[in-house]
Amino acid sequence: MQPSGTKDPALRDLLGDYPGHSGHDELLSPNQQPRAHWQPLLAEIVAMGADTLVARSEEAQSLLHENGVTFNPYEDDPGQLRSWRLDCMPCVISDADWSYLEAGLRQRSRLLALLLDDLYGQRQVIDEGLLPPELVYTHPGFLFSAADVPSLVHRPLLIFHGTDVIRDEHGQWQVLADWTQSPAGVGYALENRITLSRALPGVYRDAPIKRLAGFLQAQHRCLASLAGSQRQEPNIVLWTPGPGSPGYFEHAWLANYMNFPLVEGDDLVVRDGQVAVRTLGGLHQVDVIMRQINDPWCDPLELRPDSLLGVPGLMQAARSGHVHIVNALGAGVLEHPALAAFLPNLCQRLLGETLMLRGRDALWCGDLQALEQIRGSMDEWVLRDITRPGKTFRVDQMGLAAVQSLRLDLQSRPHLFTAQKPLQAGVTPGFNPASKTVERQTTTLRFFSAIEADDINKPVNEHSFRIMPGGLAWVGEPGAPLMKSRVVKDIWVLAQAPQPHVSMLRQAQGPILVTRDGKDLPCRVAESLFWMGRYGERLDIRARLLREALGRLLQESPQEAVVTLLPDLLTALGVAPDEEELADELAAIGEHPRFSPEYLLARDRLLNLLTDQAPDGLPMTFSHFVRNSRAVRDHLGDDAWRSVSSIRQRCNAISRTKGVVAGQRLLEAIVIDLAAFFGLCNETMPHHYGWRFLDIGRFIERVLGTLQLLKLALLTANQPGIPLWEVVLATTDNFTVYRRRYRSQLHPSAILDLLLFDESNPRSVGYMLKRLGRQVARLPSTSENTSYRNLENRLIIQATSTLHLVDIDSLADLQHSEDARDILMALLDDLIEPMAELSDAVSHSHFSHVEASRQLVTMDVAH
Amino acid sequence: MKYKLRHLTHYQYSGPATLSHNEARILPRQLPWQTCSNTQLIISPDAIGLSERQDFFGNRVAYFAIEAVHNSLEVVVSSDVETFPRPAQDFFSGTAWEDAAAEMSRAVRTGNRDSIAARLFVLDSPFVMRQPALREYALASFAPGRLLRDALLELNVRIFNEFTYDEDSTTLATPLQEVLEHKRGVCQDFAHLLIGCLRAMGLAARYVSGYMETSPPPGQEKLLGADATHAWVAAFIPGWGWQEVDPTNGCVPDERYIVLGWGRDFADVTPLKGVMTGGGEHKLTVAVDVLPVIDVASERLLI
Repeated sequence: MQPSGTKDPALRDLLGDYPGHSGHDELLSPNQQPRAHWQPLLAEIVAMGADTLVARSEEAQSLLHENGVTFNPYEDDPGQLRSWRLDCMPCVISDADWSYLEAGLRQRSRLLALLLDDLYGQRQVIDEGLLPPELVYTHPGFLFSAADVPSLVHRPLLIFHGTDVIRDEHGQWQVLADWTQSPAGVGYALENRITLSRALPGVYRDAPIKRLAGFLQAQHRCLASLAGSQRQEPNIVLWTPGPGSPGYFEHAWLANYMNFPLVEGDDLVVRDGQVAVRTLGGLHQVDVIMRQINDPWCDPLELRPDSLLGVPGLMQAARSGHVHIVNALGAGVLEHPALAAFLPNLCQRLLGETLMLRGRDALWCGDLQALEQIRGSMDEWVLRDITRPGKTFRVDQMGLAAVQSLRLDLQSRPHLFTAQKPLQAGVTPGFNPASKTVERQTTTLRFFSAIEADDINKPVNEHSFRIMPGGLAWVGEPGAPLMKSRVVKDIWVLAQAPQPHVSMLRQAQGPILVTRDGKDLPCRVAESLFWMGRYGERLDIRARLLREALGRLLQESPQEAVVTLLPDLLTALGVAPDEEELADELAAIGEHPRFSPEYLLARDRLLNLLTDQAPDGLPMTFSHFVRNSRAVRDHLGDDAWRSVSSIRQRCNAISRTKGVVAGQRLLEAIVIDLAAFFGLCNETMPHHYGWRFLDIGRFIERVLGTLQLLKLALLTANQPGIPLWEVVLATTDNFTVYRRRYRSQLHPSAILDLLLFDESNPRSVGYMLKRLGRQVARLPSTSENTSYRNLENRLIIQATSTLHLVDIDSLADLQHSEDARDILMALLDDLIEPMAELSDAVSHSHFSHVEASRQLVTMDVAH
Repeated sequence: MKYKLRHLTHYQYSGPATLSHNEARILPRQLPWQTCSNTQLIISPDAIGLSERQDFFGNRVAYFAIEAVHNSLEVVVSSDVETFPRPAQDFFSGTAWEDAAAEMSRAVRTGNRDSIAARLFVLDSPFVMRQPALREYALASFAPGRLLRDALLELNVRIFNEFTYDEDSTTLATPLQEVLEHKRGVCQDFAHLLIGCLRAMGLAARYVSGYMETSPPPGQEKLLGADATHAWVAAFIPGWGWQEVDPTNGCVPDERYIVLGWGRDFADVTPLKGVMTGGGEHKLTVAVDVLPVIDVASERLLI
């Protein structure tokens, strides 16, 4: 029904029902013609065709998915998986629009920087009546302990700043929110750009889009200049709340991109007034902390005492100038939604300029007149309570009781509330792959600014800011938070001419290139790598064993219970029932016409290992593995991470699989993915301490697994013999090797030779001990100059000598000689014991064991 | 009055602590009616990074860390303090309570700076949340048109008369509501209660921490360590200043009161805060001496 106004039928099809919006439209002008700055993109898309665009869109989606881009904190929890859809249609901003927007954003950053400086300094804006004290002092982001008598060292408080803007129905830019603690999204913006330029290379190569990488370089320079001339190689760290936090992906991504160690609260300690990271090489001083933690949680001594994320003494270290925190603690007060009502005046007073970017219409309820106005027209406003950030109240969407209680709160504590007018936003285009057409959307844009590195030592009124020419956009109602959005978009800022291509990744490194020998690796990271190795290897061993067991299940005659290998395989997997359980379960299963109860029991117990609930099931082992991998995300290559994602998808599918054959196939795939993962780790991780811990973890697990398996197959099994030995060879992937070398029937001595003694076989205990010995010897040591060997080395020497000193002839006749069996039993036990101890020894010497901190005085009060 | 002040805080831990960061607000402030000299802070075991600053409220804060393994922490502050009479009531303190409350809620642009600064102390704070019950209790003393200082003194005496001092009835965490219901508590509770009442009336009130000289029972010598830390209240009279009152004793603080510092409530002036690694359970001992310097004999008591 709507005249599309365009003569190109392909374009008309693409636009579908899009045209005809009466208010502001980003894409179409009032006469329904595409605006000039959209035309090149539209032309490309039309030329490509909707089907191709759908395919590319899916491609982009799977790239994002493989990289694990998500806000989802419970990624390893199967039921919770949720990630974004990346719209392949960006937000396009014309050169002219950008000039205004950029100037407005720069002004806003300058203004907020000045305001922050005043709020934690002279507080003239309060004295002069420009800002009510009730507004400032009740905000949880105003930190009284950051507002002490100003220190002599002047340093900038606002370094980075993020601003959410939207275009309203009239085409005016409006600011929705400011992010002044640790603005999230720079990493996502870059990741989106990289992903889309891979999925739509033609479009991205040719368009004159301003590039983003330069902004991250600028951020890097800022941080480096903050550390200043203090030390030659300043240590800049990125402080994350940890893998449980919604922004963790981005934290790891940024740490990697900027080449900063990613640290958590437990990694940091304040000693001698300095902040330091607990690393393998001891305490490593920190100069600058780029924090991703909100103000009140940063220091349990001076801020919230119940914080488990914080670092005691941090504020004092910052106060004395020994460390710079970016942004400075206390900057969160600028996120107050009611500031919007005061900024125009503040801008005049502090900058002598007219505010360029208006905030959305807002009233601070602490003002008596405003309160009267709001109470008279409650349903026209969206109310926000600053003590409950992120929550909004709309009277027309609330029950009577809730409205009543809101009215009471508003009456007794009006200064906590801000009222905002609901916003009518203009429309932006988005591509819907399902309908293959362009649809109308409401899109919020987040832009980022950073102080110019050269201004860092100037007085605050001379600070200027640089704006990232692009940003992160998301689809949703105006004011809806980024995290709740389902669709994100790239932002194109058009330049006059095509921009030189800057490689996004490694070339964008900042000026500091630290050669790391790995000694600065946080202990926690070393520990996670170690356990990632152990759990990964355990997953591998169990997947292989289970695969063989399921194979036997298919081969064996379901009626015969007695002469089967299954009980031994159940034992190997640790799920064999004890005698009492066996009787009960068999009775419970009862008679079946085709299957013996023993067979059904084994089948049940084996398939159970594929379910989420089983304590040593594969999904559980995987979740331990992935938890440790996520904690070291910044140390893993993208390809390695892709194999983790792939295993995760298989593990999510695994529990739903109920068939033996399908289970077997999944296990095959997991074994291959894990091999790819560890192969990629070996190929891409620098062979420093981190990698060594990973390797040690893997090989401790493998040596223990192999020794246990040998013990079972050769000594303790119910049904020792060729079928079980075959399983051993298959589990260790040594079937082919065995056959080529021995060309004979399976014989225990040959198996021992291959799996225990042969140091050239990577699956033999001899090889593993040698490898562990080499790795352990190269770990950082506190006693480098002495000939004294530490416990780890001694344990390996002990195991190695035990193995070397065996009289092989005494083991020759295992099948018939009780003596030979006793000797082998003693040998295996003598090997298992030191290896089991090795894990604890490594952990004791190298990983930090941080005790929880306690408060001297506990104050259970409301915050 | 001249005093020798000595305040000892001792924490005994059940296990070793490896690292602790601490903040102490136990150094007396300099005030027009109070001077301190020879102030000494002795911390054992040895403190690292001891430094003094002024906090938002102008209180003296000492920060220190202990990095050696330790089983106890002892902080002793000693100081010579001289106090003088506080400013007396005058014409300018004769403000009706409604006018004072109106000044506190006036549009910001028209307020004077002292009043604007005082408005922080009308707001809720961690230990003192305004509630209708507090206003109800206070109301009896606030007849229309009454002078704020008169209402304040009466309310102060009412709390003293109607509440029982009882060390076992409350803890730090006892909510005001409960104190009001049971009518029992210690100086901290009474101070918080009075502050809550005043704030509920729309007035500014702050929490003052410090010491009070106590006298031994007649005919007995004063025992060492018998004094205690004390807490009282100051209410803001616009155009005049802060009037102190002590609801625990139902009186107006005089030269026998030594001020450590003030804040919105106890949380702002906690004498000794700390976060430590390890340490287990801990046991606290506090000993305070506020000894008037009268003759040589009493000087000798202080070692």
